[in-house]
Amino acid sequence: MTVLATVRPHSWDLAVFVHVAGAMILMGGLVTAAGAGLIGWRDTAGGLRRLSALTLFALALPGWIIMRVGAEWAYSKEGWDDVPDKLQPTWLGIGYITADAGGIILLVALILGGIGVRRARSGGGAGLLKASTVLAAVLIAVYVVTVWAMGGKPN
Amino acid sequence: MTFYAWMLALHLLAAFSIAAALTLYSVMVVVGRRTDSPEQRQLLFRLAPIGTPLIGVGSVLALILGVILAIDSNRFEIWDGWVIAAIVLWALFAAVGARTGKYYDAVQKLAEEGGEGAQQEAAARLRASTGALLHLGTLLVFVLILLDMIFKPGA
Repeated sequence: MTVLATVRPHSWDLAVFVHVAGAMILMGGLVTAAGAGLIGWRDTAGGLRRLSALTLFALALPGWIIMRVGAEWAYSKEGWDDVPDKLQPTWLGIGYITADAGGIILLVALILGGIGVRRARSGGGAGLLKASTVLAAVLIAVYVVTVWAMGGKPN
Repeated sequence: MTFYAWMLALHLLAAFSIAAALTLYSVMVVVGRRTDSPEQRQLLFRLAPIGTPLIGVGSVLALILGVILAIDSNRFEIWDGWVIAAIVLWALFAAVGARTGKYYDAVQKLAEEGGEGAQQEAAARLRASTGALLHLGTLLVFVLILLDMIFKPGA
């Protein structure tokens, strides 16, 4: 599969580019959100915690959508639609499971962050914003494994 | 997994590390233009230490692992046009990135000085287009490298 990936036809390139660009925006959004949330963990004003939640909305969510659209496009271009599930390689399964499970975790983080930002206006919401930060950090770990699997293509 | 697959996976992780740092810096550039108090600026600059190791280690590893991949591959050679283009773009990326870093390091020093004049100067430099344009240039070169890596023109 590594050989296939490195010498893929040029007609697949745009779909792969969209997938990788989306994944990079997603990872960047998660790193920024987790970083801001952790650095601002003990701040009384909570400015960095709010920035953390807003970054998830403004970067990680669009990044996830672009990554997922690119993944489906590349999947179809590469002809995996015609391959039975049992014969599909492990790395593809890792990609699907982590992208979709990660999407659910991201959704929970967004909801917690959204409520947290709303409550922060009246001085509360710190716990929710911290929970959102923790989920962003968990997602970074999940997606590091995914990037490794997409690059190394273990089977 | 083969040696080549490991190198490719780590090369990809290094590229994601750079992308994460660039996303973090983008957030800092955008938010920095809107800050209106010394406290906000100092809070924002607390995020900078997250990006430094990500972009430093990521850039060096991406280059070294990329060269190893080109040497190890029986499909590509280090003197292929797209590989040479990537190395040239990497050097350009490092040069523009270093210039951008220098600009914002100076702004951070001013923001941390605390005097009225220094704070006004820090605010003015954050709002000036120089830093944002330098950062945009760094981003643009990174996207060109990504396009070159995926489309492999001439391969």
